Amino acid sequence: MSKRQLPEGFQDLEPYLEWSLATDRERSIKRQTSPMTKITAFYQAVVPRMDEILAYLEQYPLEQVPADAQRLFYLTLSLAKIAPAVEMYGEPVPEGLDTLRLENIDIYPTRS
Amino acid sequence: MALGKNKWHDRYPELGTGPIPVEPYVSPEYFEQERDRIFRKTWLNIGRVEQIPQPGDYFVKDLTVCNTSILVVRGKDGEVRAFHNMCSHRGNQLVWDTKGRCQTFSCKFHGWTYALDGSLRHITDEHNFFGLKKETLGMTPLAVDTWEGFIFINVDPDPQQALSEYLGKGLRTSITGYPFEDLSTNCFSWHTDVQANWKVAKDAFQEVYHISTLHRRIIGDVYASKANPYANALDFTLYPPHGRVSLSANPGRKLTGVESIVQGFGSTVLQQNNSASEELPAGVNPTGYPHWSFDGLALFPNCLIYVSKGTYLTHIFWPITENLTRWEIRTYSPQAETLSGRFSQEYGKVSFRDTLLEDASTLERTQTMLRSGAKKEIVLQDEELLIRQHYKVTESFLNA
Repeated sequence: MSKRQLPEGFQDLEPYLEWSLATDRERSIKRQTSPMTKITAFYQAVVPRMDEILAYLEQYPLEQVPADAQRLFYLTLSLAKIAPAVEMYGEPVPEGLDTLRLENIDIYPTRS
Repeated sequence: MALGKNKWHDRYPELGTGPIPVEPYVSPEYFEQERDRIFRKTWLNIGRVEQIPQPGDYFVKDLTVCNTSILVVRGKDGEVRAFHNMCSHRGNQLVWDTKGRCQTFSCKFHGWTYALDGSLRHITDEHNFFGLKKETLGMTPLAVDTWEGFIFINVDPDPQQALSEYLGKGLRTSITGYPFEDLSTNCFSWHTDVQANWKVAKDAFQEVYHISTLHRRIIGDVYASKANPYANALDFTLYPPHGRVSLSANPGRKLTGVESIVQGFGSTVLQQNNSASEELPAGVNPTGYPHWSFDGLALFPNCLIYVSKGTYLTHIFWPITENLTRWEIRTYSPQAETLSGRFSQEYGKVSFRDTLLEDASTLERTQTMLRSGAKKEIVLQDEELLIRQHYKVTESFLNA
């Protein structure tokens, strides 16, 4: 049996790990290139679990998130990314400028 | 809310009711006049003090419209200074990255080195030059000042007005007390180049007439309601050359599923119904409307600041040519303290960004058709007051 990727109690979401993406750009591309059937399936799997997921994630300070919880968190960011597609458009992206043309810029200082 | 025909025109009859010409949107000659008489003469918002919190922090702003690149730096004395980003030797651009922190600026060409206050400190192989006076060879400074944490520069070597005078007492007073500093700890920022005149881009964000049509699927019912189907403004107040619009929210709007989840963790979008806005200064939500959404400040020439409860955002439109614009969008909010808060911010960011994609869908198409020459004029309705004002103000600058 392969190693558990998501925290105890959330393994039923492991079929959706392809949505656990670390960057906004990856999530944008995933949304843009996925058919609505896949987007909707992911939405329907995660939304009913959101209260549990957010309550679980609350326990970790931002700097000390274990890898499995981090993967779960990235799933929530993908949910944020695709929710308007399901709830508002009925298609992956709104009719408009190509999403990748809006480039993310980090204007604040980067501190290590 | 009382909805009356022509009510904004009645308040500002000097702006007229007629069409405005297409020429300002397409003419290279007009663009050159805007460059010389507006962008080279007025105060321009180029960023926030939070971009350079510590001595030695700097950022570079390419200001194509003024044919320069600007270096903004916080000195050892804590002062914010701005310089043309140029070495005094043979003119090379001094700093090549977009932001950073350093003790001195050293030219990559021949190693001339400048202090944070712009003074020249080191000339490589100095004794081979001919009687140079180092104290006259510092970086060339620009007029710089701040207002509510926004950094403004003016490339005019002798600005006709101080920044505070340019913004005007009325506008400044109206927003005094808004918590810009508290809300600026977290910033999401995007930019893109759109093939449209900078005013086509700006116009799209200084009217809400388009919301019930263009954004009908995502935010159509956020602002429009049965009582106010076209999301007419609560108020327009002009502080020439600037102006402000105040907008209501739809109190009857039902949240979507994910919006309901997000709401528990604080929102980071303007799309909200601020039934309790008493925490904000009196000048914000000027009509005291119970279902207020946001106020939009239009700073002439190219900056819009939308303030809401708990978040604000800016649009800045940088002309490149008469047909090309660098469009910068920044949203500001407090730093999320938890992963749930970050999820909530992410949702706010995504849904806002989606509305931007919709907004942008019209810009290049509009420019293409304005360039066709098929029509010489465009027409404006009463709620498009800020577009009308921009045109009138521009004319006064060009004819001054």
